[in-house]
Amino acid sequence: MSINPKPEDFGAYWQAVDDELAGIDPAVELEHSLLRSNEHSTMYFVRLTSVGPYRIFAYLSIPHGDGPFPALLQTPRYGSVNNPPHFDDRQRFVVMTLMHRGQRLADKPYAAAYPGLLTEGIEDPATFIYRGIVADCLRGAEYLLSRPEVEGQPAAVVGDDLAVLTAARRPGFTAVHYNLFTFYRMMEAAPRTAAYPLEEINEHVAFYPNSADRVARTVAYVDPLHHAPEVKGKVLVNVGDPGSLSGPEFLEPLMQAFGSRAEPYVVSHEGGTDHDAADAWIASQLGSVPKPRLWLEAMG
Amino acid sequence: MTRGMAADHVTSVRMPDDFDAFWDELLARAAATPLNPTLEPIPLRSSDQVETFEIHYDSLDGVRIAGWYCRPRASYIPPPYPALLQVPGYISEPTLPKSWAKLGYAAVGVAPRGKLRSNAQFNPGYPGLLTHNIVDKETYSYRAFYIDACRAVDFVQSRPEVDASRIGVQGGSQGGALTLTTAALRNDAITCGAAGAPYLTGFMDAASLTHSQPYEEMNEYMRLYPEREEQVRRTLDYFDCINFAPRITAPMLVTVGLGDDVCPPETAFDLVRAMSGPVEMITSPRCGHDAGIYWTQSRIESFLAEHLRPAGIEAGR
Repeated sequence: MSINPKPEDFGAYWQAVDDELAGIDPAVELEHSLLRSNEHSTMYFVRLTSVGPYRIFAYLSIPHGDGPFPALLQTPRYGSVNNPPHFDDRQRFVVMTLMHRGQRLADKPYAAAYPGLLTEGIEDPATFIYRGIVADCLRGAEYLLSRPEVEGQPAAVVGDDLAVLTAARRPGFTAVHYNLFTFYRMMEAAPRTAAYPLEEINEHVAFYPNSADRVARTVAYVDPLHHAPEVKGKVLVNVGDPGSLSGPEFLEPLMQAFGSRAEPYVVSHEGGTDHDAADAWIASQLGSVPKPRLWLEAMG
Repeated sequence: MTRGMAADHVTSVRMPDDFDAFWDELLARAAATPLNPTLEPIPLRSSDQVETFEIHYDSLDGVRIAGWYCRPRASYIPPPYPALLQVPGYISEPTLPKSWAKLGYAAVGVAPRGKLRSNAQFNPGYPGLLTHNIVDKETYSYRAFYIDACRAVDFVQSRPEVDASRIGVQGGSQGGALTLTTAALRNDAITCGAAGAPYLTGFMDAASLTHSQPYEEMNEYMRLYPEREEQVRRTLDYFDCINFAPRITAPMLVTVGLGDDVCPPETAFDLVRAMSGPVEMITSPRCGHDAGIYWTQSRIESFLAEHLRPAGIEAGR
C-alpha cells in the first residue's frame, strides 16, 4: 500500500493560512432575504473576506424563536452551485451553506471552470486553488461559530474532504459527516477511475508527463488522511462497496487516523435510506429530532 | 408510512389549446436561425481513443450556446457513429461525455443558456432559473432553454461522422425533463431517450408535495406573490413534461425513486400515463432522487445500446 506521505512543512503551510486569515478583516455584510425566508426561519445572504483578499458568499438561515440553536455548516460541493439550506434543516439548526471562491454568488472576479478547478495551480502548493478554498471554509466556520444564536450549542459540519479539513482546523465542531472523497489518497484513486473530477488528475498527469510528482506533493497538503488526527469531534464516514474507492479496505488508513472518533456508515445505495440514516445521526449529535423523508415514500 | 399510491395521483396540469402552435412557432424560428457551429479541440481532455472538443452554436434570440463534444478517434472506432445527447441537471455541470464516446457514441454534453460557458447573455442563477420571469410564457426562462437543447440535435445532424438516423438523448432530473422535451419537440429525429427522476413535470403538484430544492423555489415565489397562482399555472402548462408526453414517439425509459423528495414520484406516474409511445418505467423503492441509479445504470446503458447500436459496445469494448 502506497500512501502519499505527509509533507514535512504540513503544519507550517496551514499555520500560514491561519495567520493570513487572522490578519484580514472579514468585513461581514448581512442581507435579509424576504424571498428565501419562510414561516420557520429567516434567511440572510452573507458576504465575507477570505485570503487573497477575496469576497465569498454564504446562505445563513436562523430559526425563529429564542434559541440558542445547534449549528450546521455545509461545506461547498465540487460544482458551480450549492443549494440553499434545506427546509427541514432550517427548522432545527442555524445553517450556513458556503460558496467558495469561483462558485456562483462568489464568482466575481474569479469564476471556476468545471472541469478545471481541481487542477488549477496544482503543481505548486503555494498556487493551488484549494489553499484559498480551504481558507474560505475556515472563514465561514469562524463566522458561523461566532454567531450569538449558536453560543454554547453543539455544531456539525457536513460535506466532502472540505468538511474534514474544516473540522481539523476549527475545533468547535462536535460532529462531522464525511460523505464524499476526492482528495483522500488521490494519486492512488485517480488511475482507478475515469469519472470526473478525478479524471481531471488523470488528464493533467497524462498531458504534462513530468508533473505527477509535483501534483502528488501538492495534494498531500489537502489529503484528509493527514488532517484526520486533528479532528476532535465524532465522524460519520460513508463506506461504499468492497473494492471501490470508498470501500472498507481503501478507507482503512483513514479510519485508523480518525481512531475511536470514527463511525462507519455502510451506504445502501438507496438514496432515501441513506439520507435518513445520515439525518438521524446528525440530529442525535446535535441533540435534535430526525426529519426522515422516507416516511413520505409513495407507493408505486 | 407512506403518503399513498403515487400511481393513483391525478395531475392538475391542463393542456393549453395552443400548446402545439406555441412550440411549433418557436421551433420554426429556431430552424430559421443559422446554427453557426464551431468546434475547438481540447487536447488536454482527449486521449488515444477519444477526441474532445468545446463546441458552440447559435440558438433563439441570438444566444450562443456551449457544449462538450466527444467522439471516438477513427483509428479506435471508424465512423459513422450514433449520437447521444447528454442533457444536464438543474445545478449540475454539463457532462464531458468522454466515457460515452469510448463506447462508440458521438456524444454531446449540452449547456443550455444560463449554464457555465453559456451564461454571458442570460444568467438567472441557481436558485433563480425555475421562477425567472414566470409570469408569462413568452418571457419564462425555460422557453428558450428547451430550444437550446433541441439545437444540439441540429448540431449532431451537421456532423458528417454522425449517422443521423440514430440519435439518442439521456439525462437525470432536469436532464430527465430535457430528455422528454427534446424527444417531443424533435420527434422527427430522436431515436430513443432515457429520463431519470424527471423534473419540470407537474410543477405545481410537485411543489405542493415537497420542500426540497429546486421546487422549493416555487413555494418561495408563491409565498411572496400568492395572487399570481393562476397566472403562474397558465405559464407552466406550456412547459410541463406531462403536456409534451403525447408528442413523444420514440421508445423511452423512465426511472423513478419512490422516495424521491426532489421530484415527487406522483408526477412521474402522471407523466407516463400521458405518454402514448412505447415506454418502460422502472421504480425503485426507498430510493430518492438517485432514482435507483446503482441498479438501473446498466439497464440505461443497454436500453440506449439496443436502439443506437454503438460499434464500441457491439465489439465488446
